[in-house]
Amino acid sequence: MDLRNFCCLRRLLISSTSCSRAYLSGFKSNLSLDKLYPTSRLDITTIPKAPESKDGKFSGYIPMDKIQVNYVRSGGPGGQNVNCVSTKTEVRFHLASADWIPEPIRVKLAERVKNQISKEGYFIVKSERTRSQQLNLADTLDKLRNLIHSVAQSLVVPEVSEETLERQRRLRERAARERLKEKRAHSMTKQGRQSPTLDS
Amino acid sequence: MAGVGNRVLAGTDRALDLLRELPRLSLSNIRSNPKAFKRNKRGRGQHGGKKHGAGNKGSGQRQNFMRLGYETGNNPFYLRVPKEPYYKGHHIRREYPPISLMQLQTLIDTGRLDTSKPIDLTALCNTKLFQLSPFENQYGFQLTDEGLDNFKGRINIEVQYAPEQVIAAIEKNGGVITTAFYDAPSLIAMRDPMKFFASGTPIPKRQMPPENAVEYYTDPKNRGYLADPDLVALERFKLAQKYGYELPDLKKDPELLPMMLERKDPRQIFFGLNPGWLVNLKDKKIFEPEDEQLLEYYRS
Repeated sequence: MDLRNFCCLRRLLISSTSCSRAYLSGFKSNLSLDKLYPTSRLDITTIPKAPESKDGKFSGYIPMDKIQVNYVRSGGPGGQNVNCVSTKTEVRFHLASADWIPEPIRVKLAERVKNQISKEGYFIVKSERTRSQQLNLADTLDKLRNLIHSVAQSLVVPEVSEETLERQRRLRERAARERLKEKRAHSMTKQGRQSPTLDS
Repeated sequence: MAGVGNRVLAGTDRALDLLRELPRLSLSNIRSNPKAFKRNKRGRGQHGGKKHGAGNKGSGQRQNFMRLGYETGNNPFYLRVPKEPYYKGHHIRREYPPISLMQLQTLIDTGRLDTSKPIDLTALCNTKLFQLSPFENQYGFQLTDEGLDNFKGRINIEVQYAPEQVIAAIEKNGGVITTAFYDAPSLIAMRDPMKFFASGTPIPKRQMPPENAVEYYTDPKNRGYLADPDLVALERFKLAQKYGYELPDLKKDPELLPMMLERKDPRQIFFGLNPGWLVNLKDKKIFEPEDEQLLEYYRS
């Protein structure tokens, strides 16, 4: 593409001695984002609304202003790095007053982790998995989220159909019958090993 | 000597003067330079001469050739060296020289990078601390997570690859990160803009990423430059939840917002300069094409 070969006049566009913000050309090609995504608002600054945890279901959202994050020194070997750098991450919050967790889940959680709650009622989750504070914080929150989700899962009573309940009852009874049959057969085997007596 | 009037001509002038007098060029009045091609000395014989190009004795003359690669019995090279799947396509793989967050922070602290303007590949190369060699399959820079915990800069940065935790670190401090692709000619222009402008070539248009890179650059999780910005906003929020920080509201700083949101068009190489423009550094002028065809080409 040699411009010099074309006879078109080349227009003198900008003649300036200093560069300034005013030179922004606002160039838009056929592949600009507004053409690739015509229905999009093209705004990366929008902060979506946090999903609410309602109807006893946990949405997965942990409000960072309701929990305290501490960084302390990790244990184990590591020389100067482990002695000086605070990489162990601790996340704590008062479990009883944590309204971002739905009530039934909160109660069940308190029951499950009752050995890890402090005297004042603070639940503490820790992680010193990696060498980085930020990655350990991500791991801690991951642990907490998974824990709350598993508690929520355990509270969910699955709706079982009548046919399934009937089938389960039949299977239980059949298992009991089989067990007793085998027990009787074993008893006969053991009796057969006895030496015969005058009355039998 | 040829001349117009009394004036003696030499060199180019003389040649041009001659041209005016000489007849039109045709096949009948040109010939090759001597020894430009070799005439077959002995054109007799069906396959060209006495030995027919087969030499003396040996398997060559006796038409009993050894197969290609045969090394007269010892284990040949092509069997000796095993094939390893790990190096398949190694010469085609794209490389991204690393820049750690620690280095980036140091550059910001020492004032070698201007945080009041967007940082892109040109800005990083202008520090003269990082070299990029497109001829060695290097396609740009990647950010590494060394110095992740202590990164505090608030920047608008554009790199070619960044892992998740690095994206989190930059967004946590109220910055914006984008990953973008540049093809080799664009990179050559970007890494030394002054040299490129001095070459007198119009600014090329950036090519689209190759097939195996399209998925990466259209994914909002990677903050790709071809991703939907609305989805990028959602991913920013999700990442903030994952890494445990409150997502800063970029709109709270209206003076910095235009700089933070400044982005190049997918076909653009330099901020503020369009593809097709010709920059004249000496006279401090910029020229743009006016022809419709050219404008359409650079816009497409």
